[in-house]
Amino acid sequence: MDWLFREDRYEPGSDSLKFIDKSLMSILKILSKIDRLGGQRRGILYGVTPPLKLISTILTVVCVSTSRDATFLLSAGLFVLINLIMLEKSDRKRVLALGITASSFSAVMLIPSMATGNIINSLIIVYKVLLTVSMANILSVSTGWFDVSASLKLLLIPDIFILVLEITLKYIYLLGEISLNMLTALKIRSIGKNNNKYSSISALMGNLFLKSKEMGEELYSAMECRGFTGEYKRVLAFNISRIDAVYAIIVLALTAAYF
Amino acid sequence: MHIPENYLSPSTCAVLGAAMVPVWKRASANVKREFSKKKMPLLGVGAAFSFLIMMFNLPLPGGTTGHAVGAALISILLGPYAASISVTIALAVQALFFGDGGILALGANAFNLAFIMPFTAHYIYKIMMGRGGNRRNYIAAFLAGYVSLNAAALFTAVELGIQPVLFKDASGMPLYNPYGLSISVPAMMIPHLLVAGVVEGIVTAGVYGYIRKVSGEGLNEGRGLKIRPLYVALIVMIILSPLGLLASGTAWGEWGADEIKSIVGFVPQGMEKGFNFKSSLPDYTVPGFSEHMGYILSGIIGVLIIVFLFMAISAALFIKREVKITDK
Amino acid sequence: MIEIRNISFSYKDAPALKDINLYIAKGESIALIGPNGSGKSTLLKIINGILFPQRGEYFFDGTSITAKRLEDNAFSKKFHKRIGFVFQSSDSQLFNPTVYDEIAFAPRQMGLSEGEIERRVSDLLKLLQIEELRCRVPYHLSGGEKRKVAVASVLAHNPDVLVLDEPMNGLDPKTKRFLRDLLIKLNSHGKTIICSTHDFEYVDGVFKRAVVFSKEHTIIRDDEYGRIISDDEFLYENNIK
Repeated sequence: MDWLFREDRYEPGSDSLKFIDKSLMSILKILSKIDRLGGQRRGILYGVTPPLKLISTILTVVCVSTSRDATFLLSAGLFVLINLIMLEKSDRKRVLALGITASSFSAVMLIPSMATGNIINSLIIVYKVLLTVSMANILSVSTGWFDVSASLKLLLIPDIFILVLEITLKYIYLLGEISLNMLTALKIRSIGKNNNKYSSISALMGNLFLKSKEMGEELYSAMECRGFTGEYKRVLAFNISRIDAVYAIIVLALTAAYF
Repeated sequence: MHIPENYLSPSTCAVLGAAMVPVWKRASANVKREFSKKKMPLLGVGAAFSFLIMMFNLPLPGGTTGHAVGAALISILLGPYAASISVTIALAVQALFFGDGGILALGANAFNLAFIMPFTAHYIYKIMMGRGGNRRNYIAAFLAGYVSLNAAALFTAVELGIQPVLFKDASGMPLYNPYGLSISVPAMMIPHLLVAGVVEGIVTAGVYGYIRKVSGEGLNEGRGLKIRPLYVALIVMIILSPLGLLASGTAWGEWGADEIKSIVGFVPQGMEKGFNFKSSLPDYTVPGFSEHMGYILSGIIGVLIIVFLFMAISAALFIKREVKITDK
Repeated sequence: MIEIRNISFSYKDAPALKDINLYIAKGESIALIGPNGSGKSTLLKIINGILFPQRGEYFFDGTSITAKRLEDNAFSKKFHKRIGFVFQSSDSQLFNPTVYDEIAFAPRQMGLSEGEIERRVSDLLKLLQIEELRCRVPYHLSGGEKRKVAVASVLAHNPDVLVLDEPMNGLDPKTKRFLRDLLIKLNSHGKTIICSTHDFEYVDGVFKRAVVFSKEHTIIRDDEYGRIISDDEFLYENNIK
């Protein structure tokens, strides 16, 4: 026992902890995005009623993906730009960063094809990636997530599925925090050479699974205690305002340009 | 693995999405029966778990890192139907809320990752496990992960690879993903066969082993279906679906019926000629042929590599275990 | 040994620490006291190099601890070797398949021989009176047992500074008393103990000094532990007792 009561002289060997740092980063990124769940923001775009925004987003994404008409694609670009301008600065930055990352990734992947002469179509893909990724992110940053999920009702998605989706969102956050703690604990105890990184990570995932199972069962009992019997009604109630009318007209005009 | 938006033609997305409808239907019916309707909320937690699995990075040789998809693991842990739903929800969340795009491509991604992968994993696991002991379980879990990821990758590669054959503009330039099967299949399969599949396998077996050790429960051992009929159906599906894709693609798309005939008709004709598909004939059906050959060849190579790896891994696991026993 | 200069930290827009100054010498045993959300846990995480302050500086043994410096692997390991952290939730800390492996995790990384590891683990199992848990799975243990295993797994790399986040939370009186005696013993052998708590019943004799946080995230008092704990009016006023 004497070892515990005196100081060690210790020089750590070299070993990479990159995989832990990267895991921490990816989970932090996820959590930082979810954090916006609650935040209320001001701005015209944030006020558009969620079902309208969801349907418009899907409609424009579909139109952009299927169109090869230069006029339409340019007007869709204009539409995305207007949306971007109406976002708050930090949101705009985020949407732009994601869109540009995705489209530059596409561009790199398409370089060989462009080199063999397929330039215009490749550029169209890059452009479309930029538009569709931006559209999806504009929706995600400007709308409460639980408003989006409730709006899925309009797409004839069953209520019980919406419930599961909402539980998923909540638990991505909760389990994400647990993962963060586990990874941090692993990191600060990684004080030398870990010869079995795979088994450490597998064990973390295993723990996460058991924890999720436990939490899931607890959640289920809690729901049952409050009268849940497998039926679930998601209530969809939104006010329609003048902003919505303007937004709807713009989207309709855009769709008209498609045809 | 995750196909981004605009790399597949909308018609391909629609076909694959439509193919998912019966899967989803059947999965929810089964899950309702197995979980009982009341326990549906558990699926949400399962979906959150399957979403997070992809966030855990693992070290790869050469100092880089990669991550597992986890669909095989979830299939073994929760059963293939629950896995199918959980992974679908995880993909939907990714497309809708985390802005990875993929709203249209959701059907295609679900087809590969929420259908092919969990079901392949389930059957491999069932067949491999038989009544075997512990060691066999780990091998079964490893192979379930390895093979199912590669199956999903192959489907992804084929879906991407048929795009330039099916969808071109007036001047013959590809409209969507421009790389044919001869590029997409090796580009997808080589890294998956050599690295990503191994990672998936190790994670599947590792987590499976850990959970088994920690708690016997939580594993969906007995559940599942009688193997044979579905097994056969699956094989038939695997063979048919690329063909089905080709066919349905034309029904929607920009190709005339005579052109598809020329592809289908060309294959046997070309086979007689042998392997001279690099002869750079200007006729665009020739690259089509080379892609088919590439596909078939890669498939054969893939199967061989899988068999070889399987033998090597079971030998390695066997040895490792022996050592462990003598250690104690 | 630990020197904190004008540190401020906030999560997004929510401040957690405001302009904190603290000096902790080697061999001290110090309690961080304050209501929920006053920033105790945040400070402990900063001390462990898990979070980094937006303003101010943190020195460990004269070296400034920054995110950049901890990117240097060798330094990071050396730092974490010298300072051990027992998390508030043991579940996030325990991930090995058996208690033995859990405790052996850090010594194995240090490259000790299996014989030496065996000795360390056995010593710790005895010290924490959990010898019968040796081959058990950590996941299934009771809350108290988990906490003991977590403490053992941190002691296994023999840190000079032991940081504990609400270690008494959720433990039964006997385990609390046991943990108290252990902390006193470790401190008497020269280990620095830093501990956040708002449970005073079972910690008498552990701490010589206490630092009190207000709900405004500042330090409002830094004094002898005994003197603070007997100042009922002050404790009541600040939502501690």
